[in-house]
Amino acid sequence: MQEFLIEFDQVYYTYPGSQQSALNGLTIKIPSGQKCALIGQNGCGKTTLFLLANGLYKPDSGTIRWRSEPLRYTRNYLSKLRQKVGLIFQDPEQQLVASTVEEDISYGLCNLGLPAAEIKIRVEQALVEFELLSLAQRPVHHLSLGQKKRVSIADMMVLEPELLMLDEPTAYLDIKQTRNLMAILKKIHSHGTTLLMATHDLNLVYKWADWVFVMDRGKIVLEGKPQDVFTERKILEELELGVPLMYEIFCGNFSSEEKAVAQRLQKRMLELYL
Amino acid sequence: MSLQLDTLAYTNKLREIPPEHKLVFAIVTLAISLFTHPLVQILTALWMGVWTVVYARIPAGIYLKLLIFASFFWLTSLPALILNAVSINDLQKVLSDAWSGIILGQYYIYISRSGSEQTLAIFTRALASVSCLYFLMLTVPFTDILQILRRLGCPILLTELLLLMYRFIFILLKTASELWTAQQSRDGYRTWRASMRSLAILIGQLLKQTLKQYNQFSLGLEARGFRDEFRVWHPRRYRPSQRYLTEAIFGCAVLILLELCRNAGIFNRI
Repeated sequence: MQEFLIEFDQVYYTYPGSQQSALNGLTIKIPSGQKCALIGQNGCGKTTLFLLANGLYKPDSGTIRWRSEPLRYTRNYLSKLRQKVGLIFQDPEQQLVASTVEEDISYGLCNLGLPAAEIKIRVEQALVEFELLSLAQRPVHHLSLGQKKRVSIADMMVLEPELLMLDEPTAYLDIKQTRNLMAILKKIHSHGTTLLMATHDLNLVYKWADWVFVMDRGKIVLEGKPQDVFTERKILEELELGVPLMYEIFCGNFSSEEKAVAQRLQKRMLELYL
Repeated sequence: MSLQLDTLAYTNKLREIPPEHKLVFAIVTLAISLFTHPLVQILTALWMGVWTVVYARIPAGIYLKLLIFASFFWLTSLPALILNAVSINDLQKVLSDAWSGIILGQYYIYISRSGSEQTLAIFTRALASVSCLYFLMLTVPFTDILQILRRLGCPILLTELLLLMYRFIFILLKTASELWTAQQSRDGYRTWRASMRSLAILIGQLLKQTLKQYNQFSLGLEARGFRDEFRVWHPRRYRPSQRYLTEAIFGCAVLILLELCRNAGIFNRI
């Protein structure tokens, strides 16, 4: 039986002072242990969803549940929740608070009130795991964007969350940095962390995700395995999202013999691409 | 420039020396340069220069530029100290003090002998004390100074504010330079009028960006479990150096001794 980590049930949210609501009866269930992708146009409410899931905003109506238990908006509960649900903002600058890399990684641990000896061990582990050892003593404003991104992921992963949410993690990253990031995410997932990533990169979604959510105007309009979601070409075109190039090429209307070749080619491509 | 200085503080060759040692050293040399005579002050300035440029490997060009920058302040106070003006009736009283002068209407304007001496004394003192402070600034990263403050029991509110200021100043500088570049690329500083307008927009935008930045930053803090107090863990990886310690103590002793000898000499003459 599939377990769900975070569940949104008919959630509405409007930013103070705004006419339009950001979330319009959003219902979503994040399956445990899966690599989930969230796609949708800019301004469709992806970031708002993340902020609500992290307990940073409170819904106007509807309920949000963590492991089937409704969120309580008390200090203690929220701080426990944020330890289990890690959120990586699109702009790492927003999250790096301390002045050096190792201090920054230790920040979340200090907030938990852990003893210094344990903090030391965990920071050092994180430095090794995310290949930040050579940057440990560097001030964060000396780092490149890709490095900052890596630090912000290390910041969250050092708390060992059960769910890691990433808001457009590949934005502004070059190909090498994107590959590094995906390698890190693979490692994180293999250690049992559930991932939820908002992105515009459909090719990435196609090859990476186990489960895809399509969002439009504050609602989920489509969800399922990538192969299934991308067959709904008509809906995706209406939303002006399109389908991945690879899918476009190999899943068109073929005759039966062409289909066999196409499927073999697709398999080869996927292997190469990954 | 400030980013460059910050980088130097993090990468200099004296980085591994415990910051407390450097701080105490800078304070002691500063005290020496404030209480001694020009000769000892010049020696102190030279010695600190050796520490900064030779031991810490701060590029001499940058160090010199910084010293010139400080001297600029001294230069601006020069006219006020050297030039004096008295009414012609008092001319006789100041004749012994005047090096040369001219009569301008009812006034006698002259270059003062004692004023010049004073200027020189101020120069050596400023040079010596500024080189002590530069030593501190260029070899001790700001985070280390914060760490010392924390351990000395400085109020948490103060250390947090300093830390956030330090973190934000670079974000602010970056935002400002980005805006500036964007305006430059659209020829926003072509004429005087355009420059003024662009500058006004820049300042306004900077405020807006700052407020936005603040909003996002507080979300970021909360997402990371912020609880009233801003605490981080700071590892200690310093290694005291016997060689530098010896030189520092010995050097300071020599400077103080020199000063004492000089004073004794003066007393003998009296």
